[in-house]
Amino acid sequence: MTVLELEDVRVDFAGEAGTTSALAGVSLTVAEGEILGLVGESGCGKSTLANAIMGLLAPAARLRGRIAFQGRELTTLGPREYRELRGDRLAMIVQDPLSALDPAFSVGSQVAEVVSAHRKVGRRAARERAVEVLREVGIPSAAERYGEPPHRFSGGMRQRVVIAAALANEPALLIADEPTTALDATIQAQILGLLRDLQARHRMATVLISHDLGVVAQLCDRVGVLYAGQLVELAPVAELFAHPRHPYTRTLIDALPGAGHARGRLPGLEGRVPDLADPPPGCRFAPRCPAAMPECATGPVLAGEGEHAVACWLDDTSRAATTAAVGPERSRA
Amino acid sequence: MSAQVTAESTGVVLPPRRRSQLSRLERTLGGRGGLVGAGILLVLVLVAVLAPLLAPHSPEQIDAARVLAAPDLSHPFGSDALGRDVLSRVLYAFRTSLAISIGSVALAMLAGVPLGLIAGYRGGWVDAVLMRPLDMLLALPALLLAVSLVSILGPGSFVVLVAIAVIYLPILARVLRSSVLVVRERPYVLGARARGVGPLGIMVRHVLPNAVGPVLVQATVLMGFALQVEAALSFLGLGAQPPTPSLGLMLLDGYQVLQQAWWVDVFPGLAIALTVVAFLLIGDGLRRRYDPAGVAE
Repeated sequence: MTVLELEDVRVDFAGEAGTTSALAGVSLTVAEGEILGLVGESGCGKSTLANAIMGLLAPAARLRGRIAFQGRELTTLGPREYRELRGDRLAMIVQDPLSALDPAFSVGSQVAEVVSAHRKVGRRAARERAVEVLREVGIPSAAERYGEPPHRFSGGMRQRVVIAAALANEPALLIADEPTTALDATIQAQILGLLRDLQARHRMATVLISHDLGVVAQLCDRVGVLYAGQLVELAPVAELFAHPRHPYTRTLIDALPGAGHARGRLPGLEGRVPDLADPPPGCRFAPRCPAAMPECATGPVLAGEGEHAVACWLDDTSRAATTAAVGPERSRA
Repeated sequence: MSAQVTAESTGVVLPPRRRSQLSRLERTLGGRGGLVGAGILLVLVLVAVLAPLLAPHSPEQIDAARVLAAPDLSHPFGSDALGRDVLSRVLYAFRTSLAISIGSVALAMLAGVPLGLIAGYRGGWVDAVLMRPLDMLLALPALLLAVSLVSILGPGSFVVLVAIAVIYLPILARVLRSSVLVVRERPYVLGARARGVGPLGIMVRHVLPNAVGPVLVQATVLMGFALQVEAALSFLGLGAQPPTPSLGLMLLDGYQVLQQAWWVDVFPGLAIALTVVAFLLIGDGLRRRYDPAGVAE
């Protein structure tokens, strides 16, 4: 069952230097029990996408397109209705676990706060539920440590608390924005293991945002590759790593440190993500693409056979779909 | 001798590390200075509260035999131009002055904290509508504002309290607003929003406790200055009206006889100075603790 469906989602930020197009037409779906990974460099719109789904975009942002959650359109929701969903059916783990908890309150009360924000329960019941979730995410002696402030917890433990707060109301959709970036490698592995266990147990649809392909490879069912606000490739995880079709995906995978190239410089990608206030016309990757060609001035359409879709003129399916679409609408994507 | 000397091998038993209550309090107050300030203030508040018990004489009892009598054992601070006991008058006057200074800052906080919190958190036009009128108040010289308010409302202790509160309201609101602007961008505020906490809950539970430090610093310092403003207004005849004892009024009385009897003026002056110093010391200590970056000053 589809839990989340995005259709041609665009986010623009109006600024003094003109409009910045942070997301340029992203469409994807996430099913119940599925983990969708979203990867890309910094500034590719990963967090913007998360905030758009959560309804937490800055006031200056303009959102277009459709976001359907359990068949309910989110983009037209009032602030109050949205708030009722957030923390309840829709949950997000924000970046930076080290500062995602209020230093002025005990960790337990911050988990209990989510429960009482959405459930008509007394203090004691909220507290019991909080202790229960804290225990579930692996906080040792959760009941005793309920009243302790965040600074008494290590980074990994704080991240567990943040996860507990996100899961306290058993959400149908969990968005994890770089859940392990600020943690060291050992703790990162533990947190990823925890997320996998929790996901298997609760079957919530999950969007995992990361710039780390390794993390995505371990955890996800499908992966979407974002580049400069465009979804350039979407495929099941094994398929993506085995047969990357988009030149950008290929570069990302080649840049992974692996047994293949233990010595010497890692292959990288020259240049940087284009200025989104003035994106290149058509395919936004073209200026850095080793295989760029004249057609790239027209944005290719994300298309594919079966589960594997790509937006690139090099791909036959995408080329055919783009040629078919370009006729009526020769727009800058 | 082995390189490792353990507690057991030398027979030394280290006592368990202990933090005394006093050193914990010292840390809370941001150092020795804060501790001293708090000590002075505690004594002063006790004196103010217990004034009726401590005062050796009635503050209003006139004694023709003791006009401008020098300090002696039964009247340690001497007597004033009407033969009243200066010590008793200082005790009672201090009571009034301290109540006005604390009361005025409390009143200013009561109005300024919600204003600064909402203006800083909502921003945009809400900020403009709330803060512009306060900025206009800030543009007027403090004493001029107070004098005008008292002239409009008529003199009296309560009017002085309100006037000082009006002067301090924009200062406190601005200090809170600026620290709210910083705190509202913290990740835990976004986290709280992502957990579905409403705007009021976020402002009161997550933003205010983390942003209020500099305001407390400022409020403490302002309490000291409030005492001075109160004295100044009373000195000008705009504050407490005789026969209510007030430090400012006493300064005025003493000023007229300063040549003959220094004690009538010096003791109320010292009371003001001591209180201001106590508030400043506490304020400085709190600033070191809450506001190392110096937002409040």
